[in-house]
Amino acid sequence: MTVAIVLLALFGSAWLLAVIEGWMVTGRLSPAAPLFSGLAHLGRESILPRSPDRVFFEAAPVLLLVVAVLGMAVLPLAPDLIIADLGTGALFINAALAYVLVAVIMAGWGPDGAYAMIGGWRFLGQLIAYSMLIVMPITAVAMRAESLLNTAIVGSQAVLWNIVYQPLGFVLFFIAAMALAFRAPFDLPTAEGELGGGVDAEYTGVRLAVLRLARLTLVVTLASATTVFYLGGWHGPLLPPWAWSLIKTLAVAVSMLLVGRYLPRIREADLMRWCWILGIPLALLNIIIVGLLILVVP
Amino acid sequence: MNLLEQYGLLLALTISIAGTVFCLYGLARAIGPTRQEPGKDVPASSGVLSRDPVWGRYHARYYGYALLFLAFDMEMAFMYPWAVVYKEVGMVALLDMGVFLAILFLGLLYGWSQGAFRRQ
Repeated sequence: MTVAIVLLALFGSAWLLAVIEGWMVTGRLSPAAPLFSGLAHLGRESILPRSPDRVFFEAAPVLLLVVAVLGMAVLPLAPDLIIADLGTGALFINAALAYVLVAVIMAGWGPDGAYAMIGGWRFLGQLIAYSMLIVMPITAVAMRAESLLNTAIVGSQAVLWNIVYQPLGFVLFFIAAMALAFRAPFDLPTAEGELGGGVDAEYTGVRLAVLRLARLTLVVTLASATTVFYLGGWHGPLLPPWAWSLIKTLAVAVSMLLVGRYLPRIREADLMRWCWILGIPLALLNIIIVGLLILVVP
Repeated sequence: MNLLEQYGLLLALTISIAGTVFCLYGLARAIGPTRQEPGKDVPASSGVLSRDPVWGRYHARYYGYALLFLAFDMEMAFMYPWAVVYKEVGMVALLDMGVFLAILFLGLLYGWSQGAFRRQ
């Protein structure tokens, strides 16, 4: 039952996100458009490139979708509404999200196309840039909660949300989450302008439908992680807990889309440079500040 | 739910998602066959097969970062258990990890001075 509710919330949010994205791009609000688009992809032919690495090519979209769902499985929507409240939840989500890189490199390697391959290797560089900014802010969150249980992490924010307690960590995590979901302005592996779609380029028909669904689901999962780690999860007045979780998750996801819509794509060299000379020292500073706050203010 | 059941559930979730996707593929295939035409399966490279092999060796221009990344990634493995017991242990924990992080941070500065943060 819990599994069904969480999956419904996940894919329902992905659908809402697709509707909102279509609204932002075309100016028309058409709730059925993502469904029709998905059905149309079912009817189109799904071309297999000339000399593919078949296993990688087929596995990439499935793996990306599985990773996004597994990430969501350890995040709570309400005190009891969580698929698996693992004792190592905050670590598990890191482990799951590491496979986004594997999926993207598989999608790049699989079709034996130059643009896709460059997109895949680019994402490896992008991982080296954003990865530490995912892991380090979560450490500071776990320090405050004294636990890696995601429900305990939300519980520790009952009085004061982490976005107020450690705003620096929130900003770093938000940026890194956008880079992890490879949305604009960090859409280096799929860059339409330079790579003609990059890792997306060789996927058509039903495989493309799965890949797009996986990318949307990944955004929802990351928005939900931001909510759990920084925005107090299910805490909020009046409305029931699950409603607060969904509202916050959607707000974070939409803000990710909005930020991407108004910023130009960043160069990979710049991304890596800024992440390492500014991002990582700031993340370390965040850990030290939080450490002192925990000791000084009980 | 005990630990084994939780991981079993996650495994079942993985298998059922993959199964659903393969059912979708089957459905798409059942809708109808497609026509085979020459040149349709050329990968996107402006319509011609690329001259050079794609699965070749690439210059990883970010290898300086990659080496530093290894050091930091190892360090993070120690940070998680430390973070859980931090409040219990108190000031000693902060000093211990502070020294460790300071050494690591010096490594970062050294790498920077040696041009690790430049595309090679």
